[in-house]
Amino acid sequence: MLFPMSRNPVDPVFNRIEDARLALGLTRQELADEVGVHYQTIGYLEREEYSPSLVLALRIAKSLNQEVSELFSQTPFKKGK
Amino acid sequence: MFKKNKIYWFEGVTEKGVKALLNDENSKYRWLRPQRNRRVLVILMAIGLVLTSLGSYWPTLKTNLNLSPDVGVIVYSVSAIFVILAIVGCYSFLRIAVRSIADAPDELLDERQIAVRNTSYRYAYFILCYVLMGLMVLMFFGPELQMFQPEGNDGSYVVIAALFASAALPSMVMAWRERDI
Repeated sequence: MLFPMSRNPVDPVFNRIEDARLALGLTRQELADEVGVHYQTIGYLEREEYSPSLVLALRIAKSLNQEVSELFSQTPFKKGK
Repeated sequence: MFKKNKIYWFEGVTEKGVKALLNDENSKYRWLRPQRNRRVLVILMAIGLVLTSLGSYWPTLKTNLNLSPDVGVIVYSVSAIFVILAIVGCYSFLRIAVRSIADAPDELLDERQIAVRNTSYRYAYFILCYVLMGLMVLMFFGPELQMFQPEGNDGSYVVIAALFASAALPSMVMAWRERDI
């Protein structure tokens, strides 16, 4: 992309939001409503095209009953973990 | 209970209007969402702005085309109305195409949308600076413009085009570069 919108494109944040959301049987819209963002923002987060603020990361972790460290990482998650 | 629709006068949007666009409540505008359609709108808007600024050269054009005064007035009026309607229409559709994110206040957007909006304004500002620089060069080296003078090439159209551009550029940038809106 010509003008990348990530907070810090050289230091990406990986996440397991989609896995955790699907495990709870939530749709993107439902999770978005719960954390107070637009449903497309959940899509951007799941595709790791946008790194959330700390507040949003905490809200997402709380909604998905996970710790922030379980959901977000600076290194890629291993598949199936 | 009836909830009052908050009007954001400074931004030129209403709470209900922005929320309706963000939540896809009005499905008749879905055709504006694909990036390709948004980019077509941006190109049409840019053409409209160029045509508006060229209105400054109407006296020269009228002379070169050897139009009689009566025909000249009709051609001028019809062209002006057509261009103004086209620009206002394009601008309205552009705002809808980007869900009014470019104009909405922080409290109606989430953090990613705010980041997208702010980035669009940043690039719109740079583009506007280059556009204004280009217009300045045009005024220095192009055919002589006489601001707000009815007999000469009226440079006021250049100013009007620049004002339209400054209002529309954030939406144009957003419509052009965002994959999903």
